[in-house]
Amino acid sequence: MGGKDKIRGQKELQQTVLDAGLCTGCGACIDLCPYFKSYKGRTAILFPCTLTQGRCFAYCPKVEVDLDDLSQKFFGRRYTSDPLGSYRTIMISRAGKKIERAGFQAGGTVSALIYFAMKRGYLDGAVLTDRDGLLPVPRFITNPEDVFTCASSKYTAAPTLSALNQGIRDGFKHLGIVATPCQALATALMRSNPLGDEEFVDPTGLVVGLLCTWALDFRSFEKFISKRLDITRIVKMDIPPPPADKMELYMGNGEIVEIPLDEVRQWVPKGCSYCIDMTAEFSDISIGVLEGRPDMNTLIARTERGQRIVEEARKEGYLIISDIPKRNLDHLRWAAGNKKRRAFAKARQQNMVNTLEEEGASYLRLHAETLERVTA
Amino acid sequence: MSYVTDNREGMQHLLMGNEAIARGALEAGVNVASGYPGTPSSEIIESLAKVAKERNLYVEWSANEKVALEVAAAASFSQLKSLCAMKQVGVNVASDFLLHLGLSGTRGGMVLVTCDDPGALSSSNEGPSRHYAQMFEIPLLEPGDFQEAKDMTKWAFEFSEEIKNVVMVRSVTRVSHASGNVRLGALPEMEVHADFRYEASAFNTDEGPAESVPVNEKHRLQQEKLQKAIKLFEQSPFNTYHGPEKPELLIITSSAGNLYAREAISLLGAEDRVGLLKLGTTWPLPPMLLTRYLSKTDTIMIVEEVLPFLENNIKILAAENAREIGMKTFYSKHEGTIPTTGELNPDIVVSALSKILKIDYGAMDSGYEKVLQMTTIAQVPERARTFCPGCPHRASFWSIHNALQMDNRRGFVCGDIGCYAMGRFSCGFNTTKTLHAMGSGAGLASGFGKLAQFGMDQPVVTVCGDSTFFHAAVPALVNAVHHNANITLIILDNSGTAMTGFQSHPGLSVNAMGDEVPEVDIAKVCQGIGAKVEIRDPFDLEETRATLNQLMDDSQGVKVLILRRECALSPERRYTKQYEMHVNESLCLGEDCGCNRLCTRIFQCPGLIWDKENNKARIDEALCVGCGVCSSICPAGAIERKEVA
Repeated sequence: MGGKDKIRGQKELQQTVLDAGLCTGCGACIDLCPYFKSYKGRTAILFPCTLTQGRCFAYCPKVEVDLDDLSQKFFGRRYTSDPLGSYRTIMISRAGKKIERAGFQAGGTVSALIYFAMKRGYLDGAVLTDRDGLLPVPRFITNPEDVFTCASSKYTAAPTLSALNQGIRDGFKHLGIVATPCQALATALMRSNPLGDEEFVDPTGLVVGLLCTWALDFRSFEKFISKRLDITRIVKMDIPPPPADKMELYMGNGEIVEIPLDEVRQWVPKGCSYCIDMTAEFSDISIGVLEGRPDMNTLIARTERGQRIVEEARKEGYLIISDIPKRNLDHLRWAAGNKKRRAFAKARQQNMVNTLEEEGASYLRLHAETLERVTA
Repeated sequence: MSYVTDNREGMQHLLMGNEAIARGALEAGVNVASGYPGTPSSEIIESLAKVAKERNLYVEWSANEKVALEVAAAASFSQLKSLCAMKQVGVNVASDFLLHLGLSGTRGGMVLVTCDDPGALSSSNEGPSRHYAQMFEIPLLEPGDFQEAKDMTKWAFEFSEEIKNVVMVRSVTRVSHASGNVRLGALPEMEVHADFRYEASAFNTDEGPAESVPVNEKHRLQQEKLQKAIKLFEQSPFNTYHGPEKPELLIITSSAGNLYAREAISLLGAEDRVGLLKLGTTWPLPPMLLTRYLSKTDTIMIVEEVLPFLENNIKILAAENAREIGMKTFYSKHEGTIPTTGELNPDIVVSALSKILKIDYGAMDSGYEKVLQMTTIAQVPERARTFCPGCPHRASFWSIHNALQMDNRRGFVCGDIGCYAMGRFSCGFNTTKTLHAMGSGAGLASGFGKLAQFGMDQPVVTVCGDSTFFHAAVPALVNAVHHNANITLIILDNSGTAMTGFQSHPGLSVNAMGDEVPEVDIAKVCQGIGAKVEIRDPFDLEETRATLNQLMDDSQGVKVLILRRECALSPERRYTKQYEMHVNESLCLGEDCGCNRLCTRIFQCPGLIWDKENNKARIDEALCVGCGVCSSICPAGAIERKEVA
């Protein structure tokens, strides 16, 4: 890893991430200190901080992320060239008999896993994303039953990790987190104890990553959408898998408003276009939709603890699992590879990728050899 | 009994210039006094308000200077004597009426006192007011010391009645706010009956309607009055000369310049070489008097503050009379001897004088000066401009700043005139981005709030105080509502005209004289105009911040947020503590906190200090007024508050 000496403070974070438009509003820097706040999905700095090193910088998934080092810590090897990241198994899944509820976006796997892990005592609290009207808001829960109120996708950026910071400060030791790829990456950075705190103990019990191509800037999207309809009436949002190419807004009266994805994509923040990670590679388990099967999820188990919890949940009837069809797997890998290639190309073009020898502000850092391999 | 009503003729009192002006008005038999508070003028109306009952006066703090001048004029039209006092910027506000008043003329003696602020010690400008006298063709008097401040004001009433027009008396900070010995005259026994006569024709300025029309006739009449003034000025005892019959150099000065020039001449021991013509009647200038003194020598220095007013008019006279008095060399502003900005002081005059007279005058040994400076710097603690401990403005700006930062659309605040003008400094978290005249914040916001058509997407916020709201923000608010400007007006309602010393205003239930009066409800006014109104306690930081964010998110029309909390120095809050404050040392993590000393580095309340030795925050018991606000900013919850029983 670049090491502790590569970590800077608020000023550099502002210059290299916020001012450069790379921030995705993941919430990793929010509520660590009094200076970072999030409002309507965007990160704000209240006052300048003069500290030369800060957790804000250390946890940010958009600055100086040493992929090889992080991969080494989590998977025992350098960053993989597989577009799906390091994993143990890939399967398809849905919530099992023990969970009979409506309102899931697809198969309900995320809710089922968090619910199960909390029930079994693997987690003492969970960091989720709820919704306040159209606005996604971080939610910290300690009661497993509350998982289901947060179900369903949001598609706009939320500072979910601010609730993780709050949970850690409140002394929780085994936190569950449902995270987008940038949030999973920030969580991994936090778990790697980048500032070398001697009393550090990993406060997470399970990181469930969400497959993600982008998350919209809430403010712009809200402005755009409120010109078309009364946003207070939206009860659910969905982006059906390709080739649908549209966003569906479920209105309270059963009406579904369709918006072409091309129109929606203009509100994707710049930060997402540099994201190399579609499948939340630094989570324990990654979950996404499954093309052609709206009742099922794609499930990628990456770590030992992730694999174990999936297995237990299946055994106890919280999860139903089957093999992933090859066509789906191929398509998933193709899509993830596309996103990764585009993002790497863009980042390299703008001098935002450093090899270990290179100095200066960067977004990613890898061994030259790894870089060759993953972008080949 | 106040000094200003001591009825023992010939007694001497040490009076502040503004008290001397008030005393002069009382000796003239003033009946009605009005004004709007503003440094350095406020003590004139305050002094008169204090003795209003004793002297059977009517005294009011008006909503603004224009209204004040109208109130005073109504008394004059009703054959009473009236005085109206304001600071230099007030004359700008009153100027529209003043122009018309000069044309209509007055009946009972009427005096407008303006107190200028050269160097802008307590102002957002150092604009001159004397030019108004010339522009509006009304006579101007300038007291050159404290006795004159009294005597000249008294005479101004007689003079006004003689020429039947308003007379302007112009003071400056160093006359108004300094003190000197004043020998008192008698206070008259007054028996008056107010009656406005309007029955005669429009041409009868004593008994007809009081109007500026017909203009041709009234303007001609007004200029005749000025000619009469010149005749009186030629003989005026307020124009004095000290010095040799044939001086090498003639200094012409007025106002505080008189004090500086006298001191300079004395310091240089140049009494035999320099003549000092101190003018008290500075517009219109008495030409015969001027040519007489200009003839004494060919070298003239004009000592006056800020813009060249005497200078320009004297030079015109000198040019017109050049054949008679000969060519002159002027040391003045145009050729650079006297600066055109800032206050004068004896040093500036000494240095100019010693250069002209070629007198070697080392004001101070440079080595000594250096030692003195270093000693001073070492011993005087650095004090930034800041809000008082417990000031609601600090709390308000904290929330406003944070709301704007969180909103993240480069929103900004239009500032206004009051203590909260310091919102532009770090004590106000550098929140305000415009500062002009009273009420201009709301007016500018009204304009900014209409620029969405051209792509502006920055939220527009403005602040004004409660007194400023009544003074000049109301028309701007009406404008903003009527034109559906997308703005948020924050009214920092601290229950008084705090900056100038808690003078009453229309929102309060007590007037200048201490009588109970109906209060005008700011919230209802705003609602009546058609704005959405929210009222919050600025000490509730999070609630205030969240409300403002909501209001800024609402893009429809004018939102008003009233932040209501009494000024920390208000008579109601003074010497009371709501909370005992205490830093819990076991919770304060000092430099290890990661908060980077938010409490003392950013929040900066003087009552909360950083204890370097202990590496902890600490309450300064001597300064803390127990408002409790800082307890809600500490991320570690280390600043604890306990309600005082």
